[in-house]
Amino acid sequence: MSLISSSDVLVRKLQTISDIREADIGVLRAIPVQMKDFGANHDLVREGDHPAYSFVVLEGLVGSTKHTGDGKRQITSFFVAGDIPDLHGLHLSVMDCNFSTLTPARIGFMRHDTLRTVCDQHPRIATAFWRSTLIDAAIYREWVTNVGRREAYTRMAHILCELIFRLRSVGHIQDHVADLPITQAALGDALGLSTVHVNRMLQELRRKGLIATSGSKVHALDWPGLIHAGDFDTTYLHQRNRTDQ
Amino acid sequence: MARFYFDSGDRNKIFEDEIGVECAGLEEVRQAGFEGLIDLTRESLKSVDGQRLFVEVRDENGDKILRLSLSLQVKLMKQI
Repeated sequence: MSLISSSDVLVRKLQTISDIREADIGVLRAIPVQMKDFGANHDLVREGDHPAYSFVVLEGLVGSTKHTGDGKRQITSFFVAGDIPDLHGLHLSVMDCNFSTLTPARIGFMRHDTLRTVCDQHPRIATAFWRSTLIDAAIYREWVTNVGRREAYTRMAHILCELIFRLRSVGHIQDHVADLPITQAALGDALGLSTVHVNRMLQELRRKGLIATSGSKVHALDWPGLIHAGDFDTTYLHQRNRTDQ
Repeated sequence: MARFYFDSGDRNKIFEDEIGVECAGLEEVRQAGFEGLIDLTRESLKSVDGQRLFVEVRDENGDKILRLSLSLQVKLMKQI
C-alpha cells in the first residue's frame, strides 16, 4: 500500500481532469477526510440512502451497481483511486444506486457541508468537481455502448484498456500491469456476460498474446493490440494532458 | 466449492477451459453451463443449417460430468 496521503490521491486525480492551481490544492488538502478500510463486496452506500458524506477511493476498486427486480446485478462503472463516485450526492439527495467495494479498499469520507462551503468559496474547485461528475457520466455512456453493442471479446478488451489507462493516469501503476483482484462473477456483472463466457474471452485474449495473467495481475503484453481489440479511444475520459499511454 | 471446467465449441473447434469456475453442486454447474451456452450462441451462431454448439463440463479429475448442446435447423418452407 502506498504512503501518499488521501489528499494527494484526490489532488492528483483532479489535476488530470482540470486546471486547479496551488491555492486550490491547499484548500483541497485542508478538507477533513475520514479514512476507513473495507473488505471486498462491502456496500459503501445503498440505493435509497440519504448520505451526508461523499467518498474518495484511496486504494482498491469500487463499483456502482444496480439490481434488477429479480435480483440480477449490473455493475455500471468502475472507480479507481482518486475518484469520487458519489459526488453527485452533493446535489441529488437520494442515492439511486449502490456503491460497493469490488476488492479490499481504503475509502476517505468527506462531509457534504464542508464540500458545499469549499465549492461556494472556490469556483475552480467547484468546476473541477463538476467536470469529475461529467466525466463519470461520459464513462457511463461508454459502458452502455460497450455492454449493449460490442461483442464479448471487444467488450472485455475495452474494459481492461479502460482500467489500465485510468490506473496509469493517476500514477497508480507505471507500466501496463494492473493488479485486479476482482472475481470472474464481478467481471461478468460489469460486462453483462456469464462467468463461463468471461473466462472464454480472457483466455482468447491470452491466446492472441494481448494479455498475460498471473494470479490477480493482468499484464497488457501488447498495449496497441489490446487498444485495437477493445475499440478503445480515450476521448471519453477527457484527460487534460493526454500523453501517449 | 469445487472447480469445474467448461469446454465449449462446435463441430470443428473445441475451446478448452483452463481457468474454470467454482460451483457448489450440480445445480450451479448446470446453471453456469446453461448461461455459458446462451452467450456462446449469441456470439457464434451463424445462419448455417445443422450448426451445433455445446458446452461440456469437466470436474477437477478430468471426468466429464455434463454436456449441454443445441443445433440449428434452417428449412425453407416455400419458394418466394
